[in-house]
Amino acid sequence: MSELFLVVVSGIASGAVYGLLGLGLVIIYRATDVVNFALASMATLAVYVALMVVQRGLGVGSAVIAAVLVAVVLGLVVRELVIRPLGTGRLFAALVMTMGVSLIAEAVISDVWGTEPHAFPPLVGGTVTLGSATLATQDLVVIGVSAVAMLAVGYLFTRTTLGSAMRAAAESATTAQIVGVPAQRVARIAWALGLGLAALAAVLYVPRVGLAPTVLAAPLFRAFAGIFLGGLTSMHGAVIGGVTIGVLENLAASYVSANFRDTFVFALTILILLLRPQGLFGTRSFERV
Amino acid sequence: MILTWKVAVRAVLGPVAAVLLVLLVESGLLPGYQAYSVALAATYTILVLSVGLLAGWAGIWSVGHPALFAIGAYTVAYGSAHGWASEPTVLVAMLLAGGCGAFLGFAGARFSVLYIALLTLAFSLVALEVINRWVDVTGGDQGVPVTDLPSVTGAGSLGAGGSEAVVAAILTAGIVVGIAVLARSTSLRMRMVAAKSHPVVARSVGIAPEAQSALAFGVSGAATGLAGALLGLITGFVSPETFSLTLGINTVAAAVLGGVGAVGGGVFGGIFLAFAPSLAGLLGVDQLILQGALLILALLLLPAGVVPALGSVLRTLLRRVRRPGGPSVVEIPDEPAPAPAAERRTLEVADLGVAFGGLQALEGVSLSVPPGEVLAIIGPNGAGKTTLVNALCGLVSGGRTTGSATFGGVDLLRARATRRRRLGIGRTFQHAEVFTELTVSENLLCTTRWTTPTRRRAVDALLGRIGLAGQGDVYPDQLPFGPQKRLDLGRAVAEQPGLLIMDEPFGGLDAEERRLLAGQIQGLRAAGTSVVVIDHVLEDLFGVADRVVAFDFGRPIGSGAPDEILADDRVRSSYLGTTSARQARTSTRAEGPPAIALSGVTHRYGGVTALDGVELAVHPGVVLAVVGANGAGKSTLGQVLHGTLSPSAGTRTTDGAVRSSLVPEGRALFRTLSVRENLEVAGYAAGISGRDLRSRIDQAVEWLPERVRTRLSIPAAALSGGEQQLLAIARALIADPRLLVVDEPALGLAPALVDEVYGRITGLAEDGVTVVVLEQLLTRALAVAHEVVVLHEGVVRATGSPDDPGFATRAEQAYFGSPVGGGVRAG
Repeated sequence: MSELFLVVVSGIASGAVYGLLGLGLVIIYRATDVVNFALASMATLAVYVALMVVQRGLGVGSAVIAAVLVAVVLGLVVRELVIRPLGTGRLFAALVMTMGVSLIAEAVISDVWGTEPHAFPPLVGGTVTLGSATLATQDLVVIGVSAVAMLAVGYLFTRTTLGSAMRAAAESATTAQIVGVPAQRVARIAWALGLGLAALAAVLYVPRVGLAPTVLAAPLFRAFAGIFLGGLTSMHGAVIGGVTIGVLENLAASYVSANFRDTFVFALTILILLLRPQGLFGTRSFERV
Repeated sequence: MILTWKVAVRAVLGPVAAVLLVLLVESGLLPGYQAYSVALAATYTILVLSVGLLAGWAGIWSVGHPALFAIGAYTVAYGSAHGWASEPTVLVAMLLAGGCGAFLGFAGARFSVLYIALLTLAFSLVALEVINRWVDVTGGDQGVPVTDLPSVTGAGSLGAGGSEAVVAAILTAGIVVGIAVLARSTSLRMRMVAAKSHPVVARSVGIAPEAQSALAFGVSGAATGLAGALLGLITGFVSPETFSLTLGINTVAAAVLGGVGAVGGGVFGGIFLAFAPSLAGLLGVDQLILQGALLILALLLLPAGVVPALGSVLRTLLRRVRRPGGPSVVEIPDEPAPAPAAERRTLEVADLGVAFGGLQALEGVSLSVPPGEVLAIIGPNGAGKTTLVNALCGLVSGGRTTGSATFGGVDLLRARATRRRRLGIGRTFQHAEVFTELTVSENLLCTTRWTTPTRRRAVDALLGRIGLAGQGDVYPDQLPFGPQKRLDLGRAVAEQPGLLIMDEPFGGLDAEERRLLAGQIQGLRAAGTSVVVIDHVLEDLFGVADRVVAFDFGRPIGSGAPDEILADDRVRSSYLGTTSARQARTSTRAEGPPAIALSGVTHRYGGVTALDGVELAVHPGVVLAVVGANGAGKSTLGQVLHGTLSPSAGTRTTDGAVRSSLVPEGRALFRTLSVRENLEVAGYAAGISGRDLRSRIDQAVEWLPERVRTRLSIPAAALSGGEQQLLAIARALIADPRLLVVDEPALGLAPALVDEVYGRITGLAEDGVTVVVLEQLLTRALAVAHEVVVLHEGVVRATGSPDDPGFATRAEQAYFGSPVGGGVRAG
């Protein structure tokens, strides 16, 4: 029983990271119609900068802030330089563009810092004992911080005027334009927010596995799987989907086969999608009209 | 497929180049390593072609091709370990990869481009995991060797990185390139492109997008399996890192760089992919940075790709050398050759009804159209005309249909949309939805599965009949709107349909084109085709129709001969309205300089003139109604007045800075947002925040009816139609406008609600807001406005005050474009 509990808690911790990444992807997609494949590699680049902060002895807290800031700036630069000139309505071109950005970001990381993994300190070390189960404190911190970030995003989108405007632009860009919502400003805010969440996900995830150039590739794909489940346009769908994937993946690895965890997760996801094309929570955004 | 000399020459280019390369390799002039590089470039060429043509022709973007590539390579490794002969092994590789591709294409067909891309990404990841773990077959991350595979012919063997494999790879690539060139001119490719660029229209000409997608991905997969097999043979060793996701991205990058959908682009991309490492080494930059940077630059600067860009530069140069002067003038035959006779069948509609959720869009429709009759269907916006057409064409998705509709005895309501073509039903579209990525003649050729010489002659004859002779190789978007509509018509009648359904065929055409179209419709009738036409341009419609059925509120309200139908009071009032009670209105008219004046305003969308030389002065504090039938140019005029649309010609002058708000047709609320949030968004857009915004919202809320005021947190979608309309106006008021443009506020509202909405709109004018209402019904406009402008086909036909005794008659004549009362005939 306690083993199952451990597996589930650690699954939720992984899933929280996938959920944060997925949330970032969905926020950017809803506002700008761009599936940002470079989200993970840009966040990774930001964590390498944060590692330099740690190495200067400035503490993990300031490293987290540095990572988020660097990622936000990177995201804004990339959007203004290569995505915005593409114009609107070119969904696949934009996806390919971010793939190109991702290639470059990963190459830059490898050239500057090498491909050997670096250790990155957790926010809080040690373990917590709950009854007979021993949990890594970091797992609980990951869950807590992610939950706070998600709630803050939820507050922003449902309780503020800016949030209303962003949801309005996501529902109908045409109508938003008629009403006069500044599309570029909304797009910039979405990119900044998405990259910030991704950087946060990265600093929470990296201590567990070590910092390497493609460390976030696997979480990014699982975030995609979570979005498949939740629907590309649903923010809470991305979070619930990501956590579901995290738990399922951990269960599959522990009780089915550690070797075929991706196969299991993706096969299940695709099966669900064939039965419910719009995802569990999304509108029919995936379908051709 | 038609083998013209040009195509034949291009098709042998690939194989000839391959033979030359082989001779070069065999002669020993190339060192061994270079020969291997050439063979690698050959396999990558097949891979990049598979990805690029799949994207360009079928619109499917795959990052999962490395997995199919791997299937080919590992099949060869497995075959060599089990003593299989080379030919069946390669065949198995192609079948396996092709099967996986066909499944992906089929599964992904109903999804958007993005979803298929993500689906192939997932497929690739799963394949990588399987490769790494299924050690018995793949050797895990250690890889697996490919040894010699004997040929079934007994003559020699392939594999183990031998020179035979190099030769085989180069020759195969040459043949694949040749086949790709030939495939370009087949109906197969045209049908894929058609299904990609316009799935709904493709269905109407009998092309099923799902089948195209599965077929395309299947063929592409098989070719990639072949490339993978060749890779295994030339390297003699297969290991997983080759098939990483990075290869998937790099393949897409190479395809984009070379030019998606162009065979030459695939060749360029393949060569680039093979030599990118050497090139990067030469330039001294990281290979991935080089590929990423080139990808980004290509997308930004050469979105069509290097090869098509070079091609168009070359063509421009050649044209300048060869042929000075513009394109030849299109000759339109005045007396078109008679159309071949059509099969004679009858359309029978009995008690047809269509409901969307709780909304009954169509009810109790019974019609019979015998062969060779032209039936016109008229009615105001929202009368159910389009729903009827869609029901007949099998395009009512999400609607519930009752009753029956048969054509020649076949039940149309249960037949799939793609079947109608075979039943002999053609359809034209309001906006001439031609396939823009196909040439004019390809638009007509794609309606059948095979392109035979007979078929091509028939298409040439058809081009002549629709006045597009000699324009067959032009792309439709290079033509004006009129010829595009003729092409749309040509596509619909390419196989002599028994029934032709036309959606607003006269819209956007000039007088001469309309006359020609009328002649063409008459020619079809003479050939025995039944025609169902819906349109708003009544004169032209009445000129060709044998019988007219008028619709309102989703049901037929009258029918008769063209010169009698408008004498029917119910039909007339469905256009003009019935309101006779004049609403309380201050008769004081504001004097002084106009708040907004338009002078010589003309606007065109593409080739379609929406507004033509409009002169208009809007005085402050009045309610001005712009009246006209659907398509008269009201919404365009509204946007010009609002200032969001700058007209093609003419000027808009304002008395100082005028804040203006537009309430678009159909309300355009954010349906998932609450009432309050809808108001907040307008505040955000106007740059108002904090206490200021709250007080503005409070004011706007005061203006709303009681039931809405107390339910500010429910989603806008949950409000009734009238409440939504009032909310849309309230949202426009947040910006505190001096000019308010309201587009069709009464559309879809019950009469009592219309009065309430108009009551509140006129109330705004009393508070000093200048109001412009765009309205379909003349009598309503006369009842509420201080000034009425009648728009007909983009031209202001009458301006005046409802208080002026003779104005109502003048306005009515202007509305229909000619004197009414039994005298409406085509001129």
